[in-house]
Amino acid sequence: MRLVAPTPALFLLALGATAQTAPVPAPTLPPGYVGSEGCQACHQELYDAFQKTPHNAPAADKKYGFTGLACESCHGPAQKHVDSPSADTIRNPAKLAAPAADKVCLTCHLNQHTQVGRLESSHMKDQVSCTSCHKVHANGGHDLVVRKASAINAQCTSCHLNVWAQFQRPSHHKLPEGAMSCVDCHNPHGSIRPAMLQSFAGTEPGCFTCHGDKRGPFTFEHAAVKFEGCGSCHEPHGSANPRMLIRQEVRFVCLECHANFPNPPATNSALGVVPPAFHDLNSPRFQNCTVCHQKVHGSYVDRNLLR
Amino acid sequence: MKSLLVIAVTLPLIAQQPVAPTPAAPTPAAPTPAAPAPASAPATSDEWFSGYIDLGYRWQTGVGGSLDTYRSFVDLGSGPKLVGADFTITDPKHRLFDELGVRAFGWGDDPNESLHIDVKKSKLYDFNADYRDIAYFNYLPSYADPLLSTTGVALNEQSFDTRRHLASFNLDLLPGNWLVPYVSYDRDSGSGTGETTFVNDANEFAVPNTMSDRTSLFRGGVRIELKRFHATLEEGGTKFRNSQDVYQTSGSTNLGNATNTFLGQTIDLTGLAASYGINGSSNYTKGLFTANATSWLDLYGQFLFSQPSTNVYYNQLATGNLVLESQLLFYSSQQFVLSAASQSPHTSGSFGAEIRPLRNVRIIQSWLTDRMHENGNANSNETLGNLYGATQMAAMLASSLVTNYNQEEIDVFFDPTSKLMLHGGYRYVWGNANDAVLPVAGLASADQGSLSRNVGIAGITFHPSQKLLVSGNVEAASSSGAYFRTSLYNYQKWRAQARYQVNPSLSLAADFALLNNQNPLPGVKYDYLASQESLSLLWAPKGGKNWNFQGSYSRSTVYSDISYLDPEFLTPEQSLYRDNAHTASALFTANLPHYDGLTPTISAGGSLFISSGSRPTSYYQPFAKLVVPVHRNLAWFSEWSYYGYGEAFYLYEGFRTHLVMTGLRFSR
Repeated sequence: MRLVAPTPALFLLALGATAQTAPVPAPTLPPGYVGSEGCQACHQELYDAFQKTPHNAPAADKKYGFTGLACESCHGPAQKHVDSPSADTIRNPAKLAAPAADKVCLTCHLNQHTQVGRLESSHMKDQVSCTSCHKVHANGGHDLVVRKASAINAQCTSCHLNVWAQFQRPSHHKLPEGAMSCVDCHNPHGSIRPAMLQSFAGTEPGCFTCHGDKRGPFTFEHAAVKFEGCGSCHEPHGSANPRMLIRQEVRFVCLECHANFPNPPATNSALGVVPPAFHDLNSPRFQNCTVCHQKVHGSYVDRNLLR
Repeated sequence: MKSLLVIAVTLPLIAQQPVAPTPAAPTPAAPTPAAPAPASAPATSDEWFSGYIDLGYRWQTGVGGSLDTYRSFVDLGSGPKLVGADFTITDPKHRLFDELGVRAFGWGDDPNESLHIDVKKSKLYDFNADYRDIAYFNYLPSYADPLLSTTGVALNEQSFDTRRHLASFNLDLLPGNWLVPYVSYDRDSGSGTGETTFVNDANEFAVPNTMSDRTSLFRGGVRIELKRFHATLEEGGTKFRNSQDVYQTSGSTNLGNATNTFLGQTIDLTGLAASYGINGSSNYTKGLFTANATSWLDLYGQFLFSQPSTNVYYNQLATGNLVLESQLLFYSSQQFVLSAASQSPHTSGSFGAEIRPLRNVRIIQSWLTDRMHENGNANSNETLGNLYGATQMAAMLASSLVTNYNQEEIDVFFDPTSKLMLHGGYRYVWGNANDAVLPVAGLASADQGSLSRNVGIAGITFHPSQKLLVSGNVEAASSSGAYFRTSLYNYQKWRAQARYQVNPSLSLAADFALLNNQNPLPGVKYDYLASQESLSLLWAPKGGKNWNFQGSYSRSTVYSDISYLDPEFLTPEQSLYRDNAHTASALFTANLPHYDGLTPTISAGGSLFISSGSRPTSYYQPFAKLVVPVHRNLAWFSEWSYYGYGEAFYLYEGFRTHLVMTGLRFSR
């Protein structure tokens, strides 16, 4: 929602009306500030909506030093704007460059748990500001960011067009169906994990939030799962291959690593290259490795992941 | 949980009162790029209830082609449905709560049922609960050869028909206060049936199985949020249980997949009872902090530690004509008992700082580490019986998996003007790993690898006006070590985006991404190139008053080429993968002539996916929807959708079906 720039005459009329109905003693304000009531005179609708948002908190919380200055905590001192009402005389964080806009938000929000992964956030590094996703006024008394799964997905994919296209493939996580959202797997504020993935139980990939049976620890692990994650074999956004695999047939997923080349340590790309057995891959019986090596995510029982 | 949903849905229905009209908004079947993000049940006034509830009935016309593939991908069925509900109840007197929000979608035996409840009271508590019931079905053929079934081999030897239940409850106390205690409980469980394989040395047998697992996560902590710093301390733990039964009823003979005899004998299975009993637990500690040390310095840090462990008891009884190849020992009964344990201490941490030496310069330095040192052991006893007696074998195995990952990065951000931002950086990634099972057996040995990668980073953001935004970044890396043949090695990642508001009614967006990864080492020679280009537009003349159109198109290509040696003859082979895909989605919405202040809307669109290459595939999902308001708080909607899937190489997997849904929307 845009701030409406009123004409001076309207402003004076409104100011007069306010002064007639509710004469209040002038609070002690820092130089250049007019207080939220000063903004209310012209921006009544915004003011009313704002009373219901969490962003009204700075007005009552002494911690941030903005007591009575809810609007100006983000928009800066408004005296100049009052004297000369124009969009050019007031700071609008939504129109600032990303670092400047973030600086406004982080005045209060830096020291919150949500920001702890900020330095690892590609959103921060790519100059995606807080106001790209958070609408400070728009949701009235509700949360400042969309919460419904389909709305979250629409918001994320308005930038991540390529990713949304992947979800139109037949094997995909159920985002187009509205059953999941991007933030189920990714933390848009940043995360210690690659690709800003969510975490599970402290240190583990967020995949295990839903796929707890793949977590282990297994007695006999499949190293690729632990070292490079599910994405070693699966394309989590979507694939034309069954089970979101990265290749059209399972055997190629396996053989690209388990390639049978001798003396692997010399290459420093070594893990898993030696085959566990000599199979005739011309026989369809052996073309799908996971029919026998069924515990491909890790086995509690068998070193060759057979059971 | 379902009864809770019924109560939550019916309560506001019973209590509805006539109020000012709220136009019923059409709901696209699927979110489309460039769509304006809809708010969640916006409260437009001081009404105690706002939002909507959609109830309907869906008909499925039947599935042409493969029902199993349809169920694996779509799985929508006929019947009455709670299509969706999204509403907010506010208490003007702020007694038990200020606001209660409910979102529920897809209830009525649909594959993706969800319920979310938010309840909050300012400065006292903030509670949210989330529940999902997901049908997890996959019956896609395991084998690539569709004629295999003619030889008696089952096509589906890794299939399952399960449901997963995910529940999450979070309670924050004193939200907005400087001290916020919180507790949380999450539960993930699944159960169902499927088909799997029992593997013997010379044959493998498709057999049914039942699965059940559940993980409970308990956590609690406190957040301290002050003006100059924040700290979060959290303790948590998990309880895990997993059981699986694999069986074949005695009296039947399973000939397995092998079409040949072994030394003249048919290897078969006449009975099987195998059960896995797995229990696990973990404790974890999390410590987070941020600090605004000075006006030019911010600090960030995390410390995470967890130690999951599992204990396993496995028992297997099998009968038939079976063989131990290594000793050429035929046997008719087998008992295999194993007990195992493993634990995986895992430590992660990061520390970083943002330094602002000048008004338009920011320097970010960060360090990250992730260390997991896992070990396990297994003791087994096996008894093989035949006409000549019993043979006993015992084994003790020890496993170890270690990874030490480290990453250090420095980034410099420079803003020459308020419209131009430049970014340059350098990242060094290093680590080592090993994977071993002792004693060594066969060709498998103790593996070890190292990781060493230098990455250069550059980026630019150009924002000359509110109408235009262009950004791009590139990473270029050179490695001297990677864990796997297909890991990132010498790579370049490109990403560019542009958004342009042509006029108030038309906006365009473009997205480009490319990854080029090469590993030139002898014995690897990996060549990988993937690119994606997307365009989208949103066209809404007169602010979408009469109609609007959203559309997007993406093209993506993947080329992957890596060699391997055939396992049997060690002859060079090539794994060549190509994918050339076109994806388009569209949504057209128009307002029809209005009456009595009510405006019907019609929308149509959907998505298509067509690919060629290693697995040529087509997938069409068109839909159309009509919404006709019949009263200020009531609208009738009707929707048609179609799913059509085709495979050029695997024709038997294709399916097509029509779905028709009609229902009523109650809204305020």
